[in-house]
Amino acid sequence: MKIIDTNGFKCPQPLIMLKEGLQEMEQGENVTIYTDNETSLKNLVTYLRDQGVEPEVSSNEKVHAIVTRRPEANLIDTDPAAYCETGIVVNNYVVCIKSELMGEGDPELGKVLMETFMDNLKLQEQLPTHVVLYNSGVKLAMKQSSVCSSLSELEELGTRVMLCGSCIDHYGLQYDIGVGMISDMVVITETMAVAGHVIYP
Amino acid sequence: MNQKFDLLSTIEYGGCSSKLPAGLLSEVLKELPVAVDPNLLVDVDTHDDAGVYRINEETALIFTTDFFPPICSDPFEFGEIAAANALSDVYAMGGTPLLALNLMMFSQEKIPMHVFGEILKGGNEKVREASALIVGGHTIDDHPPKYGLAVVGTVHPDKLITNAGARPGDRLILTKSIGTGALVSGQKNGLSKPEHYRMALHQMKRLNLNAAQAAGKFGVKGMTDITGFGLAGHALKMADASQVSFRIHTGQVPLLPGSFDVFEKGSIPGATFRNLEFTGKEVHFTRSVGYNLKMLVHDAQTSGGLLMAVNPDHAEQLVREINQTDPDSGAVIIGEVLPRSPRILYFE
Repeated sequence: MKIIDTNGFKCPQPLIMLKEGLQEMEQGENVTIYTDNETSLKNLVTYLRDQGVEPEVSSNEKVHAIVTRRPEANLIDTDPAAYCETGIVVNNYVVCIKSELMGEGDPELGKVLMETFMDNLKLQEQLPTHVVLYNSGVKLAMKQSSVCSSLSELEELGTRVMLCGSCIDHYGLQYDIGVGMISDMVVITETMAVAGHVIYP
Repeated sequence: MNQKFDLLSTIEYGGCSSKLPAGLLSEVLKELPVAVDPNLLVDVDTHDDAGVYRINEETALIFTTDFFPPICSDPFEFGEIAAANALSDVYAMGGTPLLALNLMMFSQEKIPMHVFGEILKGGNEKVREASALIVGGHTIDDHPPKYGLAVVGTVHPDKLITNAGARPGDRLILTKSIGTGALVSGQKNGLSKPEHYRMALHQMKRLNLNAAQAAGKFGVKGMTDITGFGLAGHALKMADASQVSFRIHTGQVPLLPGSFDVFEKGSIPGATFRNLEFTGKEVHFTRSVGYNLKMLVHDAQTSGGLLMAVNPDHAEQLVREINQTDPDSGAVIIGEVLPRSPRILYFE
């Protein structure tokens, strides 16, 4: 167990010390961070949660101990310059939902299939970069839709849910949207054009 | 010859920046009665940069103030930055600064008096550059020192630019790089390269004069300046006031050189975390936006740039106009305005 003692240091020193400490650690190794500063405690916990670990905090008088493991996430963030070089990334994929029903045939079946598909999509190890909903597909993003919560979970995991704005207007759904970013065909076309591949369920 | 005095030595080591959390502030302001008057064109309701009051058909007054503790070592530069920052609120409303009052908190027991004079000279220099007049001020004994201005400006009521004027389809232009909070924090913690810190100081001293004039020329209706709540916080307030959502291409947002490295090393000011907490669930980031960029768009800015929403047909021309009239400018298109969606800001 590694110990990082930041007692007596004020923000942002404790975070600087934590980041330095994490670099020296093995994947999955445990760490305890001590701080006597309320603001730093909050910021350290926010940082760790953002890296995908759930820190445990115990407090004794004025000293707080944060126990966690080394995040598995890539600790060294990508350089923004590299980030700017957008282009086609082969293993990225976009899911296009063109109808509220999955497949042609019995609408009852189509509805169940769509629900099952969405339940499974959010469990994929590699998640889609975007889910694009158009035509009657936009109805799935409405608050009362049975897959709205699955789409929200995908969004929470960093997938961009895009809705066709004209389609929302066409069906008169402006006031019922539960999830997703209203887009236009320019953005939707661009998104599909640079996708590694596009899935139409 | 006066001895050199380091203003940053008056600030608690590595101290977090001085603005109250936005959420907390809204809570308190909610309790206060809101001034109602048919001539009050802009009140606190839309979280705008200043109050605006129409005095006749031709003229409205813009009234604003801002002050803060030192963010750099040199007193003259601190005066310049604090003044540029306070004047910016008038530019963000599409107006022209007219009169200013110095607001100073200063302890003559703890700091040599010549420092006081240097701060005022720096402030005066910027007010002069803005073609406005300093007509007085007020000083209180306090430590660490704080300085800023109360500013009155004017605008034609029809030329007023507010937070509430962004329309779906508009392009979003940002006129200065972000990362001043990061580089100031890095400077305090020995993590900013001197040349990068100098660039941040230089940018903070720049008036938003040219960019605001260009915005007026191109009929911009929605605009704000980026200060303590960071790009995300101010964009959120603007989109919310306009009842729209913003889509921002994080990779297009100009960063001050070195600011990313300072955050990568963990020198993230407390204000950044407060701003992140404020924007909360209203903001969505796609997976491709890394942690440091997410924090940088929440970095509290001092004397930051203008964020303007402009008709897409004029966006590129407006960017050219801003960058041609002020060679130091680095205005870029960073996103677009969407119809109001479940969240207010979408970063990708």
